[in-house]
Order: sequence, then C-alpha cells, then structure tokens
Amino acid sequence: MARGRWKVAAALTAMVLVVAGCGGDDDQGGAQSKEPIVIGASLPLTGDFSQPGGAAKNGYEIWRDMVNQQGGLLGRQVQLTILDDASDQNTVVADYNRLITRDKVDLLLGTFSSLLNLPASAVAERNRMVYVEPAGGAPAMFERKFHYLFFAQQATAPHQADVFVDWINSLPADQRPKTAAYPTQDDPFARPVIDTMQKALEQAGVRTVYSTVYPPETTNFDTIANAVKARNPDLLAQGAVFEDGVGLVRSLLKVGFSPKMLFQTSAPSNSDQYAEGIGEANTEGVFYTVSWSPEATYPLNKEFVQRYQQKFNRIPEEDAADAFAAAQVLQAAVAAVGEIDQGKLADWLHANQVDTILGPLRWDATGAPQSDFLLAQWQNGQSEIVLPQNVATTDSVVNPKPDWKSS
Amino acid sequence: MTHAVQTILLGLLTGGVYALLAAGLTLVFGVMNIINVAQGALLVLSALLTFELWRRFGLDPIAAAALTTPFMFAVGWAIYRLFVARIRDAPVSMTVLLMFALAITIEGAMGLTWKNVFRSVTPSYFSQSFHLGPFFLPKAQVFGCLAALVVLGGLYLLLTRTWAGRAIRAASENPQGSQLVGVNFRSVAALTFAVGVATTGAGGSILSVLYTIFPASHYLWISRLLGIVVLGGMGSLPGAVVGALILGVAETLTATYISTRWATVMFYLVILAVLLVRPQGLMGSRLRRDVAA
Repeated sequence: MARGRWKVAAALTAMVLVVAGCGGDDDQGGAQSKEPIVIGASLPLTGDFSQPGGAAKNGYEIWRDMVNQQGGLLGRQVQLTILDDASDQNTVVADYNRLITRDKVDLLLGTFSSLLNLPASAVAERNRMVYVEPAGGAPAMFERKFHYLFFAQQATAPHQADVFVDWINSLPADQRPKTAAYPTQDDPFARPVIDTMQKALEQAGVRTVYSTVYPPETTNFDTIANAVKARNPDLLAQGAVFEDGVGLVRSLLKVGFSPKMLFQTSAPSNSDQYAEGIGEANTEGVFYTVSWSPEATYPLNKEFVQRYQQKFNRIPEEDAADAFAAAQVLQAAVAAVGEIDQGKLADWLHANQVDTILGPLRWDATGAPQSDFLLAQWQNGQSEIVLPQNVATTDSVVNPKPDWKSS
Repeated sequence: MTHAVQTILLGLLTGGVYALLAAGLTLVFGVMNIINVAQGALLVLSALLTFELWRRFGLDPIAAAALTTPFMFAVGWAIYRLFVARIRDAPVSMTVLLMFALAITIEGAMGLTWKNVFRSVTPSYFSQSFHLGPFFLPKAQVFGCLAALVVLGGLYLLLTRTWAGRAIRAASENPQGSQLVGVNFRSVAALTFAVGVATTGAGGSILSVLYTIFPASHYLWISRLLGIVVLGGMGSLPGAVVGALILGVAETLTATYISTRWATVMFYLVILAVLLVRPQGLMGSRLRRDVAA
C-alpha cells in the first residue's frame, strides 16, 4: 500500500518536471535577442534577520520595478533572483556560489548584516564580481582590502556616530554632558559605534561612569537600568540593535531614571515598532543616527517612498532604503561603464561618487564609504533630521531630554 | 546593600515568571518522557495572540490569560491527537525531532500572520513600579509573578486534589502500574500534554507585557527553559519552581556584579554543571531505566 503511494508520487513528480521543462522552453523562445539582466542576491528572509531581510527584498524589488518601467538597464529588463539564506553564514555562502556558478547571474547585490556579508563578499571577491552591499559596516569587512566590495551607506560602523559627537562638541560648555554611560550589545554593527563614541567623548572631557557589553540574547534590562541609575550619568549612549533598545528604555521607566541625553544606535529608527514598544510620549528627545530619512530631499527619494507606500502600504524601513541605494550604486556603475565588465565596474566605483537616496556616496580603496550619517531625533512623535543642516527637517534640537511621561 | 537587595528582588520576580514558563515543559517530560521543544514557540504564539486581543479589543494582557489558557489547552490537545499520539512508541529522539519541526512550522506561521516585526503590549502599567521604601518593584513583573503563582497553585491543586491529577501523577510515577489499576494511559497522556501546553497560555500573556515579542524569539526561550528544567530535575514541578528562582536571581546577580556578558550564559553553564555533577537535577529522582523498561 505504502509502496503504491510512493509510485504515484514519483510519477506525479516526473510529470510536473516534464511540464515545467516545457514551460521553460516556451519562455526562452519568446525572449528573443535582448535577454534580461539577471541580478542575484541572497537575503535572510527567515531566521534572526528576517525583518531587515524582508525589508531589503522590498527595497530591491521597488528599484527593479522603477528601473524596468524606465526601459531597464542598458536597454535590457532587470530580473532579480533572490534566495533565502535563513540568516545562516553557511547557507549564504552556498547561495552566492550557486548564483554565480549555476544560475550564472550577470550581477550581484549584497545581503543583510555584517555577519552574513563577511562570508558572502569573500565568495564574490574570489569570483571577481562587484559586490555592493546595503548593510554591513563592521570594520572587519574592510580590513580585508577587497577590491570588488562596496558598502552602500555613508560610513562604516565605527564612524556612524561621529556626527553626534561633533554636535556635542559644538555645544556651549555648560550644555555638554559631564558624565556618560555606555551599555552596548555585543553586535558587530552596534558596538564599534559606541566604542568610538566613548573614546572621542572621553577625549573631549566627558567622564565615563559605566560601560558594559551584553550578549544579543539578553532580554532582562532591569539590572542594567538599575546600575545606570546608581551612576546617574548625564548622557546614556546605548549600542542598541532593536529589542534591547526598547528593553532598556522600558526598564529605565520602571526604575524611574531619565538621562538628560539619550542616544541609541539603531533601535529608534524602527519608527512604529519603537514608539509602540516604549510609548510614543517617551520617544521625545531620543537621538540616533540613521542612513536614510523618508523626508530627505535627495533625488528619487520621494518617488521611492511613494512607490513603496503604494505597494506595501507603509513608510519604507531604513533597511529597504539602504537596499534601494545599493541597487542604485550598481545601476550607476553599469550605466556609466556601458557594459557588464566586473573589473571596469569596480574601477569606476572606486573613482566616482554616486548620487543615491541616502545622498552622495563615495568609497576608499577598501570599499569603505567616506560620508557622514544623518543625526536624527524624535520630536513630537516623529523622527526629524537634525544634522547635516542641508537636509535637516527641523531647526530645533530637544536638549535636555524631557522626563519620561508615564512613570 | 540596598543595591544588592534590589537586585535579588528583581531576580526573584523574573524567576517567578520563569517558573510558570518551565512548569508545562517539566510536567510533559515527567509524565510522557517527551521533551517538548515546541514549548517556546507555543509561548510566543500565545504572546502574539495576547497582543492581538490587546490591540483589537483593548483587553488587558494579563487578563487575556483567561482566554489564551483554554485556547492553548485545545491547541495542546490537537497537537497530541494529530502528531504526538502517532509516534508514542518511537524513541525519545523522534519526538524531539517532531516537536522541533512543529516549532519551526509555528514560527513560520507566526511570521506570515504577524509579520517578522517586534510586537509590544503596553498597558498603562507596563512602565510603572511599586515603590517600597528604597526599593522598586516593576508592576508588570509583580502582576506577572502573581499570575504565575495563581496558575502554578492551580496546577498543584489539579495534580493533587483531582482524580485526573492523581491519574497524571500515577502515570508519571509508574505507567505500567497505573494501567493495572485502571488508568487509561492514552487519555491521561493527551490530558497531560494539553495541560502542559495550556501553561503557555498564561505564560505567553505575561511574557507579552514584559518583553518585546518576535516569531524567532522562541529559540531563546526554549533554551532558557531547558536550563531551568535540567537544574530543577526533569519532570519535577517543585524542581522547576526552585530552578527558576535560582536562575532568575543568578541571572540578575551575575549581570550586576560580574558582567552582563555572563548573565545569559548562566543557563547553559548550569545545564553543563548539573549534567556533570548531579544529572537528576536538584529535585529529580534517579530512574532505574533498565528496570522500568
């Protein structure tokens, strides 16, 4: 009986394969001379990074739709092949190998997070293929001095808060923080931001009263909040990925401690989820740096936001915008070089500046970007860009941060 | 000194909630010899259901436990009837695989339903605290801990004061013997499994107020719960409570006085240490499997 079922299943599978094979032939017959340009990427669509991974996929797809509507790239339609690496380092390597050797894609786009981009970019480098990645600014990415790697944000992780440090140093002496606490998640993206900030602020005379590194699986922040309260710092700067950023603020509310200045690396940029997590009234005055803002006036940004809202019915996530920008970088290089020659594309990107929805981007010899992040702040339940001035959405800065509203 | 007492208080409150979360896991293991690694996923499912009830109807998340608990009981019953009952006679490793597959399936379904975003339930008291002299007790933790005590008390009464509970304990202590005196092992097993899963109802509802919830966060919870259950003794309900309190306090003390980096590692160190030094845990009984089998 069971064996009979297997036979039926096998026969059905065979039929499906034959039918699918026929379908493939038909498609190729219709495509004629101008085949689409196939761009391959692997994204963490499931697992730990599924949230940003899904957003990045949306960003790539919006870019593809916009490019195809305007006649494609080099007159050819653009087609995306996106695989799911399940947030796993081994899978992402297998995926990029498959894209290059089996699917023989024309171009590559990067994956999400330094964790995954580290091994994936090595596959691309070995195969001499340009690898523009939307999120992965850990220093280790660029210490390898890869030639084909480009990080499509404004700055590497250690320099993402430079704009905040500069702002503090620009304040009159009596408004600057005297003491600071630095809890950070042990994350290749968050920790370098805080480490660099701590060093820079110590040099500027801000005394460190507390610093700690906690692992990603930390859920209970009551103890850290309790310790921070005991030290009573003026500035609290946290290397917060997301959950931990919300968790620490919730615990600060519970212990009843509100710092005069609060900076968190990326948690506050997840606008709706952040406001939902800590209560909208409590977001007032929280600083963060960000690669992108829906309000920024850079070319194409408005169209991107509109398109995204039409298709997904919400404001794009920063991760979606970063992915869009990464694709823009690749597009600019291909358009300028006029052909798909990986070596020439890499040379062009090393020598030129590219306008993206994140602003103008340029790279050094290792693929590390050389611009500045945006300094943002929550004001009246909205995220506003405070610096740099040419794209700021407000003139005012909330300082000091008001007390928590619901404690 | 105040700081130390405060730290221990926070640890005890956290431990109280952990106790509830671990109770179902240890119960199912004690009676059925099944390590339900899907317990974490079911916990997150209940938390997301609570989120939905709170968002749509403004239902208080801890009160929502009154709805999620019977619902998760039904889910547990269905899981037992549909899947677990079929491989009752297979080796333990098969049930672990089955439950793991179930956990991943639930995670995927939750990702589709609630999207892969962090969800938070924020009733008015989520950020408030009771103040007792120099100490503060976060309201959400206190309510959560009280609810956990109520559920654990109920579970204790169920096991010790009802015939169904006696049957469950009999089946757990001696499966063959209980069958001889007329306990229907199959229906007791289904009941136990359903009760074990039902604890995730209240557990998830409480969890939703304390932490942000994400479909993939179940891995973290199941590994923590396994640490508690191993420390207390696989299958021992009082052991789970003691283990949870010890680990709750150990976690906060480590985070405060040693390093936050070591706080989460405590759970895994405990698993290792217990298995090396006292494999039956604090309150578990050492079974003569050779004779029992």
